Amino acid sequence: MQPSDRASASAPDEDDVAILYDASKCIGCRACERACKECNNLPAEPVPLSDLSAITWNLIKQRKGVDQADWPFFNFQCMHCTDAACVMVCPTGALYKDKRSFVAVDEDKCNGCGYCTQFCPFGVPGLKDINLITGEAKVGKCIFCCQNQPQEGIGRVACVEACPTGALTLDWRENQLEVARDRIAQLKADGHSKAVLYGESEAGGLHCLSILLDEPSAYGLPVDPQGPITFSSIWQKIIQPLGEVALGATVLGVITAFFVTRRNIRMEEVE
Amino acid sequence: MTVRLKGTERDIVTIRWIPKYTTMERLGHWLHTATFVPLAITGLILYVPLLQSLSQGQAGLFVRLVHRIAVVLFGLLPILYFIVQPRRFIMSIREFMFDKDDIGWVLSAFSYYLLGRHAAMPPQGRLNTGEKMNGLIMCVTWVVLGVTGLVMWFGKGAVPAGLFHWMVLMHDLAMIAAVAMFLVHLFLAVAHPLMWAGLVSMHFGVTSAAYAAEHHARWYYGPKRARQLYEEAKKKAVSETSH
Repeated sequence: MQPSDRASASAPDEDDVAILYDASKCIGCRACERACKECNNLPAEPVPLSDLSAITWNLIKQRKGVDQADWPFFNFQCMHCTDAACVMVCPTGALYKDKRSFVAVDEDKCNGCGYCTQFCPFGVPGLKDINLITGEAKVGKCIFCCQNQPQEGIGRVACVEACPTGALTLDWRENQLEVARDRIAQLKADGHSKAVLYGESEAGGLHCLSILLDEPSAYGLPVDPQGPITFSSIWQKIIQPLGEVALGATVLGVITAFFVTRRNIRMEEVE
Repeated sequence: MTVRLKGTERDIVTIRWIPKYTTMERLGHWLHTATFVPLAITGLILYVPLLQSLSQGQAGLFVRLVHRIAVVLFGLLPILYFIVQPRRFIMSIREFMFDKDDIGWVLSAFSYYLLGRHAAMPPQGRLNTGEKMNGLIMCVTWVVLGVTGLVMWFGKGAVPAGLFHWMVLMHDLAMIAAVAMFLVHLFLAVAHPLMWAGLVSMHFGVTSAAYAAEHHARWYYGPKRARQLYEEAKKKAVSETSH
């Protein structure tokens, strides 16, 4: 896996692969959660969590106030954004876009700074083995089963393979979008008037698309995860270069001043 | 200090040394430097993409650990100074405040520092405007870096993400101001051909009377006499240029 220069891409590529989650097919059996744990060798949580963590990479959540019979479930995992804030703010390159545009993790490079955990609009990455005093920690999040992935083709992911109802599928992103649009039309015809596709354009286009039966906010998802301007882009695209220019200019200015002064003061001595 | 020719009784040069900085001031200054430099370097490793390889994995953990160790002393220094010498501490803060002579200094500084023109500089106190500027920026950034750094260290996950974002941004901006000021301060103290005396004072606590008279007239002569000398020097400079 080599980091590609996709991190700055603003639109998904034609040969991108994506997971499509269909909330109208999910029975909340949590087979995906178990398969993820097994496949990625993740330990069990000491206490059950209501959110993702560095060792829990996908989680079946439920919409609040919805009857069990009304398809309340939602599969929450890394969305693998095209404009991934975590990749943008990671100072080490531990988080990067792999060749198929998934957000992969190179744990050896991670220094535990945790910026990704604070800048991800979905709150996906977590830190493990944390030492609050020394700052030691390692990031953990869904890596799209990258260790099992071919560099080309659709590949396989554990959560999709384990899903017994076909709520999770893996295919080319373009195909998934087409399938999703048809499915939403069908759901609307069946009376699910709020059915919506989440992830087509959010955060530059997600690689984990979701067919939802209600507004994204009902599932706890941000309506506009990145908005027109985000803090991570202000930080990385304005402040960071500005700082480099300012400090570079200071160094240059000081060096120039040194030579100018030396020359002028010498000349004065000659006079 | 007196320089005397061998075998004679005659003094050639007499340098009178006068105390400028207290032992505590010098100790504080150098401990501040000794902690500021590693903090700046380890911080910049995370900041500058060119240094990315040093921020990765074990090296990165070490860098972050050094940042944390250095910051404990860096953060405690002013507090310790305040505990040990509260009156001096307040005096130092007051000394950093600007007055109208500082504006005149800034206006003449360019030709003075770059061109070495000894045109009449407004009389300076024990600290000149540049030193004040450095002190003031170090004070302000100490507060900003401290508050934002504490939130970044202990508040990750505990404070709202939006607040954390602001902390990171302000930490960066304060760092840019502090490091830029430090670079200029370092240049003037170590490399500038006219400014050797500052470094001597910070090392040994003393300065020569002649240097103090020229560069820190308000401190050396007192405000009234310094003002008088300054006005005379200005008149002289004007009459020289009109001739």
